[in-house]
Amino acid sequence: MLVWFLPVFLILLMIGLPVFFGLLFAPGILLWLNGQERDIALLYRNVYNGMDSFPLMALPFFMLAGELMNRGGITTRLVEFSQALMGHLRGGLAHVNILSSILFAGLSGSAVADTSALGSTLIPAMERNGYSRKFAAAITAASSVIGPIIPPSGIMIIYAYVMGESVAALFLAGIVPGVMVGVGLMVMVRLLADRYDLPKAERIVQRGQTLSEGESFISFALLRINIAGLLVGLYHGVFALIGTLDAAKPEINSWWIMLFMLPVAHIIVMMVRKRVSEDFRIVCKKAVAPLQTPIIILGGILIGVFTPTEASAIAVAYALVISFFVLRSMKLSDLPSILMKSALGSSTVLLLVGAAVAFKTVVSLSHAPEQLADSILGLSSDPLILLFLINVLLFIVGMFLDAGPAIIILGPILGPIFVDLGVHPVHFAIIMSVNLTVGLATPPMGLVLFVASSVSGEKVETISKAILPFLAVEIVVIFLITYIPAISMTIPRLTGFVQ
Amino acid sequence: MFMMVLNILFAINTTILRIGRALAWIALGIMVAVILIQVFFRYVPFLDALPWPEEAARFLMLWMTGLIAPSAYRWGGFVAIDMVPQALPKAICAVLMIVLLGLSTLVLIVAVQLGWQHTMGFGGNFDSSSLRLPLDWFGGTDTKIKLRYMYGSLLFCVVMMLVINIELIIRSVFALVSPDTELPDDDSATNMVRAD
Repeated sequence: MLVWFLPVFLILLMIGLPVFFGLLFAPGILLWLNGQERDIALLYRNVYNGMDSFPLMALPFFMLAGELMNRGGITTRLVEFSQALMGHLRGGLAHVNILSSILFAGLSGSAVADTSALGSTLIPAMERNGYSRKFAAAITAASSVIGPIIPPSGIMIIYAYVMGESVAALFLAGIVPGVMVGVGLMVMVRLLADRYDLPKAERIVQRGQTLSEGESFISFALLRINIAGLLVGLYHGVFALIGTLDAAKPEINSWWIMLFMLPVAHIIVMMVRKRVSEDFRIVCKKAVAPLQTPIIILGGILIGVFTPTEASAIAVAYALVISFFVLRSMKLSDLPSILMKSALGSSTVLLLVGAAVAFKTVVSLSHAPEQLADSILGLSSDPLILLFLINVLLFIVGMFLDAGPAIIILGPILGPIFVDLGVHPVHFAIIMSVNLTVGLATPPMGLVLFVASSVSGEKVETISKAILPFLAVEIVVIFLITYIPAISMTIPRLTGFVQ
Repeated sequence: MFMMVLNILFAINTTILRIGRALAWIALGIMVAVILIQVFFRYVPFLDALPWPEEAARFLMLWMTGLIAPSAYRWGGFVAIDMVPQALPKAICAVLMIVLLGLSTLVLIVAVQLGWQHTMGFGGNFDSSSLRLPLDWFGGTDTKIKLRYMYGSLLFCVVMMLVINIELIIRSVFALVSPDTELPDDDSATNMVRAD
């Protein structure tokens, strides 16, 4: 009888019961009918235990860091930087929109924040540059789904917690898929640019900008440290790939390599500097400080200096320092509303995660995954076909339900089935996360479509049609990720976060 | 009569939730500070890693959630699929809303009972492993914090959501039987959106 909680839950959800109550009502009522009143108390305790978690704390912190960055005026700097790099291409501002989303993804784990922050800046600019409003809104919505794929990612923190996976492994696994979505969208823009004669844009929006001495020095130092770090990473990556790292490790310490790479980085920067204009240099320098956030988060986790939760708190502190002392764009009186908005947004997610942990207990008690697995295996025993079918299912679910709640509900049910079929848990997490994230931009219920509509003033139906070519690209990427596990698994394997 | 109850509930909810929101953002700010202290003490030479920041931050996170989630609920911030209700005629939609609120009330009544047992029961009497009130600094005795002060966060949350649910049910009844009646309106939600 207990197995009926799943259909009951789905019906309640479809008629509009909030997911939080559905997650508790459906299993609760069936436990009661089954005479298992004692387990209802367990349900309540698991809501509490589900919320009482240190790793989960990263969720409000990353939300807060993203909100601080956004309000601190970092978005404008990122857009100017993207435009300096890609504005001169045909369909320039559309490329700028996508690149800004990729960069913004490293600061915030939310597609909605991405759409509202970048949309309010870029949609009017694209319209002035000759793009139709529906195209501008569509590309903003389509590229914003990169936000929760590239780390830090709210939905990956939730998945990792609910399913007992490593947050760091999921973060690292999301990097290549996120970049692939971005590159895929850029290819589509290039094709559309030829067809619709999309315009180029100026690389520099505002000439003659200046930089304070302090920020100039910070950018000078950070840029060289970043490039040197990248070179050290490449050095280790190359040796890891050819399998001789173990032999090289005892002889050369990473810090010595870093020390050697610093002058190399300086020479590279000086070589590039000669080829670019003063304005271009200033725009790039202004983006250096904001773009340290993803480096601090991933660098700290990779080196093992701090946990993802601590990394998220450091990201908040860094965002505060940047907004108050470098950009000087924020006042103390702005803080309460920013903190309140982050607390408000994260509290609903934390309650949902708590309810999901309680729900998961009943999922295990009911043996629903085993029965569902039998039904799914009855369709086919070929994992490739099953992965195709599950992608279709996830895509449909994503059309109607937000990515976070969908992961909370489906993760505990589908995860164990596919892991038993031999799909790596991290690989399956990425398939689910990317698929459900793309669902945020699919009609009829895609959340970012509504946000793009409110930012642009264009109807949701019109944006829904204009977004179709970009959705096609994202579907292709989903299937590439599904059938080529190396796309998501290579970086976590190389860094030792996945065996 | 109904309008009077609604006005009283509205006034109580608005006041308590406003205080709750203020405490919640302060809790979030302190959470960040506590975690930064944890990292600082771990890496600065000659300082020992502190035992309490992790539990203190969890304590604050639980209370942040408990204090502000009812506001999110009142402002319609809980995720739901509203395609079916939106597709229905207004009157049927209002009836469906009352039914759904009734189901939520049922969940919340059970949650309040279980929450009370959880908080005030045997388990709540245990001491926290690392949190203490340093009363010895003021000449008293060092006191460990009981777990019930952490458990209480979820109890407070469900109690407030239950009270809000009653307010929402009365509002839905008005929407069904007398749609033109002017109801008290909490403009804090609108103000927060405008602040963006």
